[in-house]
Amino acid sequence: MSVISVEHLSKEYQIAKKEKGLRGAVKNLFVARKTIVRAVNDISFSIEKGEIVGFIGPNGAGKSTTVKMMSGILTPSSGHVYVNGTDPQKERIKVVQDLGVVFGQRTQLNWDLRMGESFEMLKHIYRIDSGLYEENMAMMNEILGINEFLDTPARQLSLGQRMRGDLVAAMLHSPSVLFLDEPTIGLDVDGKYAIRKFIKEMNRKKQTTIILTTHDLGDIQELCERLIIINHGIIMEDGPLEELIDRIAPYKNLVVEYFDENAVEHEKAIILSHVGNMVTYRFQKADLTAAQLIHDISAQMRIKDVTIEEAKIDDIIRIAYGGKENGEKE
Amino acid sequence: MLAYRFDVFASIVFQCIVMFATSFFWKALYSNSDTVMGVGVQEMLTYTIISALMSIFLTTKVEDRVIESVRQGSVAMDMMKPINLFGIYFAEDLGYLTSLLFQNAIPIIVIGSLFITIPRPASWYHFLAFLGSFLMSFFINWFLSAIFAMWAFSILNMNPLVQAKRHIIRLLSGSIVPIWFFPSWLAKILNCLPFVYIYQLPLDLYIGKGTPASMLPRLAIQFAWLMILAAAFAILQKRVLRKVMVQGG
Repeated sequence: MSVISVEHLSKEYQIAKKEKGLRGAVKNLFVARKTIVRAVNDISFSIEKGEIVGFIGPNGAGKSTTVKMMSGILTPSSGHVYVNGTDPQKERIKVVQDLGVVFGQRTQLNWDLRMGESFEMLKHIYRIDSGLYEENMAMMNEILGINEFLDTPARQLSLGQRMRGDLVAAMLHSPSVLFLDEPTIGLDVDGKYAIRKFIKEMNRKKQTTIILTTHDLGDIQELCERLIIINHGIIMEDGPLEELIDRIAPYKNLVVEYFDENAVEHEKAIILSHVGNMVTYRFQKADLTAAQLIHDISAQMRIKDVTIEEAKIDDIIRIAYGGKENGEKE
Repeated sequence: MLAYRFDVFASIVFQCIVMFATSFFWKALYSNSDTVMGVGVQEMLTYTIISALMSIFLTTKVEDRVIESVRQGSVAMDMMKPINLFGIYFAEDLGYLTSLLFQNAIPIIVIGSLFITIPRPASWYHFLAFLGSFLMSFFINWFLSAIFAMWAFSILNMNPLVQAKRHIIRLLSGSIVPIWFFPSWLAKILNCLPFVYIYQLPLDLYIGKGTPASMLPRLAIQFAWLMILAAAFAILQKRVLRKVMVQGG
């Protein structure tokens, strides 16, 4: 059985349309014109136990809305969500008992309490057994090093410390599902590294199913075994990153530097550009390997240098968003 | 919250000012006569101190809490906890009251006893009746606040309404001026509304105004209001939780 299944989920918002200026403001006071916006439009997918799924899409694509519906905070306009077989709309408390959540832009640590006290409070709220609590705290401290600032009130923590604290808070009760909404937003290199390591460790040690939304390519490449790309409220792509690359960019570029301006042609590669001594070939990965191409060319003419270019991840993602079709480097 | 020391002192000073101003007002009024409407100056001063004390325990944070968390969208974090949403707010209010007990209530009793009068109840029976009635008024007040707070889920700027409600309660509940000083037609109307059962009734019991026979029907009305508000709270809560909206994200 899948840990999460989403069936034909939709969410509509009513947004008051405001006209500009004083006239608009007064008018809006009496007749509010409302427009309906479909944030999420009939999406379906399912996630199995132990998967790390990247939920990606541009700003305003409907990612957060979907995550909020999966955790029972928002009521869908239509469709169903099941988390561990339970509908969070009907049994929110049962669902969230086995759910951890980190919203990168919000915190669940109490602003005025020492961070350790916030954890103690969560221990009581989730009725975490003392043994398990100690064990989890020790294990998470090992990866995130939170013991140093356990006595600092949340309002005095740096963003990186706060985010680590929030991750611990979300995993204290050993939930089987973890939602991370932009967990590395605004963090420095160290912070990102620690958090990615934490996510991988939790997934490996506890078989935690992790769903994360992110705009960070590093997160996507390092963490996500599977990507669900969403834009305009619909799913554009669903599958592993490699598969996506193979489909959107099934080619590689080979840049060859010759000793003079003459270039060799190859039947399975097209020449994208030819400037001076530099020639860029494009070949389909399925037809040809880079090694074969270099071999064939160098058999005919001496080569000074070669560079293999792969399609850039951000270009691929941009194409997957349904944006610019000619996103690749010229 | 001991984190904000200035806040604590400021609120004690503010409450003392209100208490002293009201007590001077009563002293001036009573300078010509011993009793007004069957109540002496001692009772009236006791009334003032106990009213100030009650106002501390009737401070609720639930409206501000909901307004803030709806505006900032942090209600999402509250919804992620495996507990009833309003249960969280009630627990927070209780925690807040515990801190107020030490920070404000004890100083107010001490200052009031030293400089105004020692607020003695009419008798032990009156004191017990007061406690029982005050417990009910605490919940009436909390349910009223919670019901108001629920509006914050559909009306984004609730602050003016909440302020208006607070002032209406202060004025119409007898917390500053007892309603027996109001014109009788107004007093009759007020006796049908829940507000007087927040301050006036427990205060009457404390100073021993009225006979047991006249108090029992009023206690019954208080209990009825408690039940009505509790039921309204329970029904509205279900509806509100079903259509929570989260700002932003």
